[in-house]
Amino acid sequence: MPKRRNSADSSRRNFLKGASLVGAAAAVTPPIPANAAPAPAPLKAPVPGPLQTAAETLAPSNDPVNQTSSGGDFMTDVLNSLGIEYMAINCASSYRGLHEAVINHGNNKPEIITCVHEDIAVHMAQGYAKIEGKPMAMACHGVVGTQHATMAMYNAWCDRVPVLVFGGNIMEADKRMPGAEWVHAGVDIGQIVREFTKWDDQPASLTHFAESTVRAYKIATTPPMGPVFIALDAELQENPIPDPEGLRIPKFAPVVPPQGDSGAIAQAAKMLVEAQNPLIICDRVARTPAGMAHLVELAETLQCAVIDNVGRMNFPSRHPLNQSFRRGLIGQADVIIAMEMNDLWGTLTHFSDRIVRRSRPGIKPDAKLITLGVRDLYLKSNYQDFGRWQDTDLDIAGDAEASLPALTEAVKRLLDDGRKSAFDVRGKKLAAAHLAMVEQSKTDATIGWDASPITTARMCAEVYGQIKDEDWSVVGTTIRLSWPHRLWDFKRPYQWNGVSGGAGIGYNLPASLGAALANKKHGRFTVSFGGDGDFMFNPGALWTAAHHKIPILYIVQNNRAYHQEYMYLVAMAARHGRGVDKMDIGTTLKDPNIDYATVARGMGVHGEGPITDPRDLGPALARAIAVVKSGEPAVVDVVTDPR
Amino acid sequence: MKNYKRLMFVALGVSAVAVATVTFTWAQDAPKGDAGNGKRIYLADGCFTCHGRAGQGGAYNGPAPILAHTALPFDGFKGQVRNPVNDMPAYSDAVLSDKDIADIYAFVESLPGSRSAKDIPLLNN
Repeated sequence: MPKRRNSADSSRRNFLKGASLVGAAAAVTPPIPANAAPAPAPLKAPVPGPLQTAAETLAPSNDPVNQTSSGGDFMTDVLNSLGIEYMAINCASSYRGLHEAVINHGNNKPEIITCVHEDIAVHMAQGYAKIEGKPMAMACHGVVGTQHATMAMYNAWCDRVPVLVFGGNIMEADKRMPGAEWVHAGVDIGQIVREFTKWDDQPASLTHFAESTVRAYKIATTPPMGPVFIALDAELQENPIPDPEGLRIPKFAPVVPPQGDSGAIAQAAKMLVEAQNPLIICDRVARTPAGMAHLVELAETLQCAVIDNVGRMNFPSRHPLNQSFRRGLIGQADVIIAMEMNDLWGTLTHFSDRIVRRSRPGIKPDAKLITLGVRDLYLKSNYQDFGRWQDTDLDIAGDAEASLPALTEAVKRLLDDGRKSAFDVRGKKLAAAHLAMVEQSKTDATIGWDASPITTARMCAEVYGQIKDEDWSVVGTTIRLSWPHRLWDFKRPYQWNGVSGGAGIGYNLPASLGAALANKKHGRFTVSFGGDGDFMFNPGALWTAAHHKIPILYIVQNNRAYHQEYMYLVAMAARHGRGVDKMDIGTTLKDPNIDYATVARGMGVHGEGPITDPRDLGPALARAIAVVKSGEPAVVDVVTDPR
Repeated sequence: MKNYKRLMFVALGVSAVAVATVTFTWAQDAPKGDAGNGKRIYLADGCFTCHGRAGQGGAYNGPAPILAHTALPFDGFKGQVRNPVNDMPAYSDAVLSDKDIADIYAFVESLPGSRSAKDIPLLNN
């Protein structure tokens, strides 16, 4: 392993040499009497100091000051071999070797995305991956930067999103400068994030780095996907490559996601075909643009209802079989196939958040339940993101998107004219119900249409009215904001990319920027709705948007509260029969009201608002959209009713 | 044709009133509430947090129903406030008196309900 040049050691060495010379000179110089007259200044060059004397008289030390290669160069080559487009960072000394190498050796490839917090950097990578279908990298600073990154990594973990996280470290204790390098170093910095990463390593050589990084990429992108972590030793990054000829970049071949067992798929098909009211429930099914088409084909073949938990862009919002806002169908289904579900028990159960917490099944007692997915193939124990146990009848381990074509073919093989006819009747009923649901949504949206604060329905309708003819992509939403999915026509794979995963606040703004970064090169119009509470966790993300010219229309749904918590507090007070009128304490963001447009302008981003009158919203949106179409970000602060 | 439709709506409305008179005579026992005071309580005591300032509904742990121009009879409304189903918190008389509930009821009854979405171009995209 190459050795780190230790400037502290060399300084100390020189200092000791100098001290020896001074001591030797003192031993041979005669003492000066105390009453002697001051001697005139000598007219000659001053005596060389100890360091200069040492430099001129001693043999050159083994202390090079230049190098022609660095481990960071090789690391950059490895990252580029994987096709990583971007590396989001908050710059830091523990990975300065890689940072410099990316800029000068890699010619800023992967492109550095400058972030003002590691939480922003990882969330950007999460949003990016869900649009682009591949990871981007981020680097963080030792134990401190890694701790900043943890919340975003947990969101990515729960959301099953691949993110490649590097954390700078100085492994050898004798190579750490006094001070920050000690408090920023760890024996095992991956331990910080191990409970919510798929894999981590701390390579001790460049060969080790290359193999572990490619392995990490492969693990991260294999369903169930997730974040991975590689500790970057500073010595490896900064020092010359000792044996360039001995290095190679490993070959990466993506893993073909596993299909469900063919026998189990056939059994599932039989159960679905024979059902009177089959139901598809899905959450994170579509991981490529093909996923939605596969699911549509299965649903249309069966002419069955689909309830989409919108973890991904699984199913078109206006497809006649989309029954996502008719949850009562869960209780009518005789066969349910649940695909890549995050919380199956929660979806199928009625749970009461009352003094005595009770639950009851939301499915019929004799309903048969099929599951298809890979989520349970990789679980950990501490964080409880796996949800409560759910009894099933047929549990198929297999990537849903990869398994769908085989399942659809198996269903088709079982069809005859009689069944097709019955399926058509079923499909027509569902289509009529879907249409009624859409019309009801429109009618509901009219309530409070002209009110101030602005209703969320009006806000969403105003936005859609102005972007519907663009090649739009919605990449963020606020808690329980359902109007876009109730009113808008989602039909393309990139028009939606799900939610945070871990429900950790601070996701929406930076993740939306990451998604917008991915959309940028495709020329798509990115729009996101974000809460004011979420905004204030990571407002600095806007500077990144301005700096890197990431076009996005960011709508702040400003209800001036952490509103879910506000409601919970009211419930607590009501339960105790006291003080329900004081629950704005600690739950609201007012006195003073936050002016998000001004915050945006302070970061170099176009800002509109606060908009309180619904009649002002359309013109404000038009101005903001013009900015976005010119390639810049824009924020519109809409003061809304709570939900 | 337009007049015919209007007549149909009037006829349906009269029929609905007749049915309501027969079925829900107890609804007439609803105390006359003060809608202005009801609005004040609705906003101060957190009703709006789930149901919206315009009574347009919203979401708590699940959907929170629309209250604008409510069709619930007063007793049903009061029953839901005192002994709610689902996750809505129960408001005892320690925090909401019967009169408060009557005032809130008067307020939500007074709120304009939905109108035809066809009249709003933005809802027809």
